[in-house]
This record gives sequence, C-alpha cells and structure tokens, in this order.
Amino acid sequence: MSVNAWIVVADQREVGNLIAVARSLGGPVGAVVAGPRSVAETVASGGVDKVVWCHAPDDAPPEASARAVADAVAADPPRVALAGRNPAERVLLGAVAARLNAAVLTGARSVSLDGDRTTVVNAVFGDISDETVAVSGPVALLLDGGSVPPAAGPGAPIEEVTVAPLGMKVVETRTHGFETVDLNAAHRVIGVGRGVKAKEDLALIEALAEAIEAEIACSRPVAEGLNWMGKDRYIGSSGAHIAPQLYLAVGISGQLQHMVGVTGAETIVGINSDANAAIFSHTDYGLVGDLYQLVPAITAALK
Amino acid sequence: MDFDLTDEQQLIREAVREFAQTEVAPKAAEIDRDHRFPSEFLARMAELNIMGMPYPEKFGGAGADNVSYVLAAEEIARACATTSVVLLAHASLATFPVYKFGTDAQQDRYLHDMASGRRLGAFALTEPGAGTDAGAGTTTATLKGDEYVLNGSKIFITNAPFAEIYIVFAKTDPAQGTRGMSAFIVERDTPGFSVGEAEHKLGIRGSSTPPLYFADCHIPQDALLGGEGDGFKIAMQTLDGGRIGIAAQAVGIAQGALDAAAAYAKERVQFGKPIAALQAIQWMIADMATQLDAARLLTYRAAWCEDNGRPYGTEGAMAKLFASETATRVCDRAIQVHGGYGFTESYPVERNYRDAKITELYEGTSEVQRMVIARSYLR
Amino acid sequence: MRIVVAYKWTCDPEEATARPDGTVDWSRAKPGLSTYDPVAMELARRLAEEAGAELVGVTVGAKGVGAPIASKAALGRGLDRVVIVEDESLREAGRSELAAVVAEVIRHIGDVDLVITGDSSVDVAAKMVPTVLAGELGWPAVAEVTSVTGQAGALRVERAIPGGVQVLQISGPAVLAASADAAAPRVPGMKELLAAARKPVELLDLTALKVPPAGAVMTVTGRARPERKARKGQLIDTTDPAAAAAELVAALRAAGAL
Repeated sequence: MSVNAWIVVADQREVGNLIAVARSLGGPVGAVVAGPRSVAETVASGGVDKVVWCHAPDDAPPEASARAVADAVAADPPRVALAGRNPAERVLLGAVAARLNAAVLTGARSVSLDGDRTTVVNAVFGDISDETVAVSGPVALLLDGGSVPPAAGPGAPIEEVTVAPLGMKVVETRTHGFETVDLNAAHRVIGVGRGVKAKEDLALIEALAEAIEAEIACSRPVAEGLNWMGKDRYIGSSGAHIAPQLYLAVGISGQLQHMVGVTGAETIVGINSDANAAIFSHTDYGLVGDLYQLVPAITAALK
Repeated sequence: MDFDLTDEQQLIREAVREFAQTEVAPKAAEIDRDHRFPSEFLARMAELNIMGMPYPEKFGGAGADNVSYVLAAEEIARACATTSVVLLAHASLATFPVYKFGTDAQQDRYLHDMASGRRLGAFALTEPGAGTDAGAGTTTATLKGDEYVLNGSKIFITNAPFAEIYIVFAKTDPAQGTRGMSAFIVERDTPGFSVGEAEHKLGIRGSSTPPLYFADCHIPQDALLGGEGDGFKIAMQTLDGGRIGIAAQAVGIAQGALDAAAAYAKERVQFGKPIAALQAIQWMIADMATQLDAARLLTYRAAWCEDNGRPYGTEGAMAKLFASETATRVCDRAIQVHGGYGFTESYPVERNYRDAKITELYEGTSEVQRMVIARSYLR
Repeated sequence: MRIVVAYKWTCDPEEATARPDGTVDWSRAKPGLSTYDPVAMELARRLAEEAGAELVGVTVGAKGVGAPIASKAALGRGLDRVVIVEDESLREAGRSELAAVVAEVIRHIGDVDLVITGDSSVDVAAKMVPTVLAGELGWPAVAEVTSVTGQAGALRVERAIPGGVQVLQISGPAVLAASADAAAPRVPGMKELLAAARKPVELLDLTALKVPPAGAVMTVTGRARPERKARKGQLIDTTDPAAAAAELVAALRAAGAL
C-alpha cells in the first residue's frame, strides 16, 4: 500500500478533522504516532488505513521521536502530510517537511489533488486574503485537529517502531491550576478581551457563562499578558479555531487576528464601548455600551 | 531637505516610547494625585542612559544628539509631565553648565555622576525678586580667604531636595548688575544651605520645587564655575538649550491630550453616533493636530540647529513660545472634546491641562521668549 | 557558547489592507522587528548573561531585510553581530525554503550550540520555520519555550503544556521557539542603540550558500478576499441596559442560539 496522506500525531487525540481531510484526498491514509500507545489505538480505530507507533522511553517527549517519525514517513513518501496545531505536532511535521523537501502551508481552507499537482486554498496575513496555491511535489499542512475521532469499525494495524530518541528528556512537570477546556466541544462560548479591566471582573462573565452554559475563552492579550486563564482558552489565528452556535465577544476589539478563530460561529454577538471597534463589522447583534452594565443585565434577563 | 529622522533617532524614539507607555504612563495619575517625586523613574532613566543623553560617552552620557534627546523628552512628557521635567531640569539645566564651563577638576568630580544619572542636579537662578528679571538677584557670594560665603535665597528650584548638585547663581559684585553675577557648584549637605517647604502647584505636582536658603554657607573657592562675572552668560546660554527641552515637553503633553481626545471622540456616542462623526469635533481635532505638528517641527528644527553648530537661541525661543502656547490651547480643546467628563479626575485631560500651563512660564516666560525673538529681528 | 537568534524584519498585517481582487496593499505599513522576536532576544540574553555566550543574529529575506535600521534594531537588543542573507528571490519563498536557507547560514557560522526564535512571525504566523529548520539540521526542537538555562550540551528548557509547564533536559544543539509571553523584553538603553551601528554585519551571498533546491514548487494561481459568512450587523440600542438585554435575549432565542 502506498500511502497517499500521512497524519502526524504526537500525544493529542484530537485528529478527527485531519482524518476527514486526508480521506477526502482519496487513497490510503497512514498515521504515525509519537505518543502513548493509547493515542495510537484511538487513531487506528478512527478511520485510517495504517498506523506506525513510535515507541520511545517513557521520559522522552514526543519531539524526541522527530527523526523516527520522519524516517517512517520517508519510507513511504506521501503527496500530503498533515498535523494539528500543537507545539509537539509542529516539531514532528517540521522534521517530516524537511525530510520530504515538502512545501509547508498553515492556513489551508481546502486541499485537493489535481493530477500531479496539489491545490490548496490558503488564508494569508491574518486572514485578510486567500491564495490559491498549486504545489508540484509534497505538501505539509498544519490544520485544526478537530475532535477525538469516534471508533469507526475495526482498527487499522499498528506497526510498532522502537525509537532511539534525540537527546532530550522530561525531568519535571508542574501544573498551573487552570482548568483545561475543550473549546471545540462547547456550543456557546464567551470571549473576554481587554475591555474587562480586572481579573476580579471575570466574576461577571462567569455568572453569564453559567446562565447560558457557555465556556469562557479570551483574546491573545488576555491569554498572554494578563494570565487570567489557561492559554488553551485563547481564540485567534495562532490559537483555537471554533465554530459554536453562539459566540459572545465581551470587551474585544475585533481585530482579524482574533476573529479568524470564530468565523465559523453560527451567531456572533459583540459588546464594546467603542462604536468604531472592528468587532461590529463581524457581529449579528452588536451592543455599543458599557459591558459592566450590559453583562449583568443580560444575565438578569435570562432568569 | 530631509524630514526623516536618522535610524538611531527612530530607534531611540521607539525605545523611549516603550519605556514611557509601559512603565511611566500607568503611574502618571498617581504621581500627580499624591504630589509624589518619581524616584523610581529617575533610577530607570539612569539605567537606560537617558539622564545624560546628549553628553559624550567619555563623560558618562549616551553620546546622543539633541534631536534624540528632544524625542526622548517628548515621549516621556506624553506619559507624565512631572517625570519629563525631572529629566529636563537635570540634563539641560544642571548638567550643561558643568559640561560647557567646568574645569577638568570639576568635570572629574561631578560630570560623570551627573551624566550617568547617578547624582541628580538642580539649577538655582530664580529668586523671589528675580524671575524674568533674572539679573536682579540679591543672593551674594563673598570671597573670604579661600572660600566663598553665600547668603540669600532661591525659589521654585526643580529637583530640590532630591538633587545632590546645585548650580547656584549669586552676585560676587552686586554693583555690576548682571555682570557681577557668578555661578557656583554647591553640594546638598553643605552647612548653611537648607531647603524649604515644598511648593503646592497647579500642575507637574510630582515635581519638587521648594525654595533654597543660604545663610553663611561656606563653599570652597574652586566651586566657582567659569570666571567671576560669567554667571549671567552661563545662565542665559544654559537656558537657550533648556528651552528646547521645554518645547519638547510641551509637545509631549499636548500629544497625550490629543491622543486622549481622539480616543474619547470615537467612543462617546451622542445623538446615535460617535461624536467623532460630528464636524465640530473633527475640526477641533484637525486644528489641534496641525498646531501640534507645527510646534513639533519648530522644536526639532531648534535641536537640529544645536546639533549642526548653527545658532539656536532664536530658534529655541520660537519653539518654546509656540509649543507652550499650543500645549495650553490643545489641552483646553481636549477637555472641551470630553465635555463634562473632561473636568473630572476620571480622564487624564484635566491633568494635561494643569501640566501644560507651566511650559508658558518657566525657563523664561512667553514674554521673555518674545523679547529674544524680537531682538533678533529688530537689531 | 554560541547562540543564534533568528529574527524577521517585516510589516504587521494590521497595517495592510486587502484589495477587492484579493491582493494585499502594504503601502501604509512600516517594517520593524517581528513582534515576538524581541522575546526570543530577551531569552537569549538571559542565557548569555548566565552562561557566557556570543549572540549572533540571523535573518534571511528579500530586499530590505539588510537595511541598516533593521540590523541596528536587532543589534540594539543585545546581539553581538548579525549575519544576513538579503536576496530578492526570497520574496515569495515558502516556510521550508526559508528554513533551508537559515540552515545553511547556521552551517556557515559554525559551532552553533543553540538557535532561539520567536513564537511566529507577525505577518505569516506559520510557527513552522523553526521546526523545519530543526529538521534540516537534524537537531531536537521545542516550541512554546518559556525559559532556557544551563550550558552548551546541557540545556534546561521549560515549555508550556496544556495545564502547566514541563521541564526538559537537552544534551546537544537544539532549536527553541520562545512562547510569545515567555519574557517581557527589556527596553533597549540609549548607549546600546547608539553602539549598534558599530557592531559587525555580515552579508552572505545566497548563491554562494548552495542551498539545495526546493522539492516542491508553489505557484499562486489565484487570489481572492475570503468569503465571510454574512452577518446581520444589527445594533441594539443600549440607552436602557435592561431593555437592550431583553431585546438581545429575545433575538438569540428566536435565532436558536439560546
């Protein structure tokens, strides 16, 4: 079997979208996994045709298997290699791309095979433009991983490879105490921006989130500079891309770098005190005003 | 004619803007409200080599040009007028005389510490009876053996008592008027030299400007800066450069107020739309921006003249005159754009308005600037 | 220890606009150091201060990246020297092409113990150049790095993982991509900025580097403004917050969003 598309996986199971895209290209789909065996098993039963599991020592991070992953893919070179937007996956895909001498694209909206060319519609420059790119030769794509793939029939065979890891090992792990979240699974999400002035004010947002059963997310400045919540809650071009039923942007200016993460939302509501804020060109319903009055008012109106 | 800044000037402006906006601006309201001397920023500006920016590296300065110094002063003033005057009084007024007129021994003793910002300086010219008429000072310095004895008082002395080094102007020959004035370097804890109560002011409230008292204050003979009788000339030359810095301060204060007014106009909704959509507001902003840019260009031009060995006395006076009057006008309009809210402490423009006024008064009132400018045209 | 900091001189897409035909208008944009590169420089400086190291800046790109102001901006942030490949043929280069050029530059510099890069560039934001570079060099790579300490051959690297921080020990040369908030870059001092003009700048000729040709050629065959889901754009009057809230809730219920 000559693999047409290889999916590169580290230790995250959320590869449903990668499998769907790979399958859409036609031809055999392989997955190489550098993480726990349980991840390899989830992927194997998620709809791929073969799995190579890179078995490294317990204290080796996924990145330590980068060369082994590249070897596995190079042994059966594909038209397309795909990986999810996570740090370890990016390292593995980078090794694969270097080995295959592949073109790398990270904003693919769609990909198709046309004869000996691969055509990718690729979003560029913070999503202000789409380029249609024809590639002669192998392509490595970074995409949203999607959700954990449900079991789809009997699993594909898993070939185990023992890895001689690159010189790196995990010596310590510390948790920061922020609850992790799967924003992709949330039907309703409230995004918090710099319009919220103090960490204590998140209580207002939490009250509303509870009232509508929403997850709380944030823009980049809040995720990074302010450290009010885990970085897995950051929505934006280099963060989470979600498509919930409802996205409520509170105190968010609406720059494209954030909005690109929620363009798929069914309904977008924006609350901002600046009538000229970019958010209002992306909303279904916009409220120009003081969030400190409007958010509690909305929470009350829901009772 | 090249209106571009050099690479270094651009990078310096960006770096000082980064410092001013991220570190100084968040504290400006508190510094004003608490009348607090911003010693933490004095230390930071020393760390960043801003305190002696225009002085050569061999003397502990940064070796930057005057345009760069002006850019830095403007960016700091945009964040906090108080912090900018601490810098300007130190670098332009106190350090310049030592650099320009000091003996090797005096420079060895004081210049490195001042240019590096390790020791803060102050410039003591003004007296209760001698403001615009700077030559009318009655503080005396009498030579007794190998010491001078100072008697008299000074008023509105920026940076006292935090400053350790004071450039003090006193009459060695009162009968000669301005030609009888001399300049001295006096250290803070000299017996007979005391600092009075802080002055409560309309603006730049964190800037400490108390009176100084000299009562039989003995200083060594080699504390004389320049020759006997050179004092007035030293003071005037120092102020020629100093006023370019004040022009930069005025530009910075006005820019902060203009930024605030523009942001407010985009946010404030009345009659169903932001007031920025109203022509009355648009015209106010246009006038403010234009006058401010003119003030800025005059200021940069004066600094450029100083950097390029051209005369800069008249140019500096024009810059200071126009920039200071522009600043008060811009800050007044900025409050107007804010309406009633502009009158409250919730918005920064009332502080900008109070801070701007001093630029029309110190380092030569607008009237003095007009005298200087007129003289160059009507000679 | 020799540390290379790879940086980019480019424009922020916030200052660019897309024309109706999908091409991008950069005319109002002013180039600068890519937003997160100073974070990488800060991490490199801290390591150099602790361990003693030479800091070498590397940048590759089209005409403009070798402009004196670009080099001064980088050198003013603590680098000892910079090595630049400035070639117009790189203007449309993809991530892997750029990574291949950087790899050759690193081989040319020699004895490099560590490469540190920013999280991603402000304009392309691919997050892939450092990882492909590591693949080209055959070195370990780690992204989302929040701190790096230690010595050449014995680096202690902290990196963000979901839920916390993981500490790794790396025994050989590596490529590290700093997380965007790993450190607050220190403000450059005036002396540093003025001294930048006196530090060495080495311009390398691209053809002399003998970079292997790209294995996959990309051709842009079309451009368009992205189709965005049409939004209602309805503004709710907020003069009375309670009334606005009621109106919003009713609208969302009717739309099936609540």
